[in-house]
Amino acid sequence: MDIGDPETEREIEVVPLEEPVPMPAPIEQPSEEPVGV
Amino acid sequence: MKHVTQEVVDGWRLWHVRLHEGERRLESFTWHHVTWPARQPLVATCPVHGRDAPLSGHDCGIYSFRTRALAEELLRRYTGVRQCYGRQPPEPAPPPPGRPIALGRVSLWGRVLVREHGFRAQFAYPYELFLIGGDEAMARDLRRLYAVDVLAA
Repeated sequence: MDIGDPETEREIEVVPLEEPVPMPAPIEQPSEEPVGV
Repeated sequence: MKHVTQEVVDGWRLWHVRLHEGERRLESFTWHHVTWPARQPLVATCPVHGRDAPLSGHDCGIYSFRTRALAEELLRRYTGVRQCYGRQPPEPAPPPPGRPIALGRVSLWGRVLVREHGFRAQFAYPYELFLIGGDEAMARDLRRLYAVDVLAA
């Protein structure tokens, strides 16, 4: 395929998108049972 | 200086659609021994540079045009031009019977060398295809195999 003059060629780099790293889920502390009086 | 981007490059190209191990597959238009894999990218290789293709100063890499019009121009050179009158641009003639062709958009990424009329790329995968000289059943087979939109033109 004739894609044009090689003298005009320039290079680009297409890099993959970086996937966001999920933050760890907060650890749930067990709520303290109310102490009956 | 090399430009680095996260935007996948869109090109246009032609493929032959030929039987390969019992399935209709996309085959490079000019390199008939190169069958495009399904559901994984085609990776450029070169007998000189191996997996470093494409490199500047050589002809290796996966080729595509910048525009659909340029791909159609190659199709016209291949099939001949159907004569028509008036202001409409000449339509490409249909390919020879039993020799279907796919015209389509292709996604390019990795190292991409940009020229005036097109690209040479390291990785490529078809994005959408227009099947010329094939029927709806063939379009459905290609759609299922490559998981891309295929329209029987």
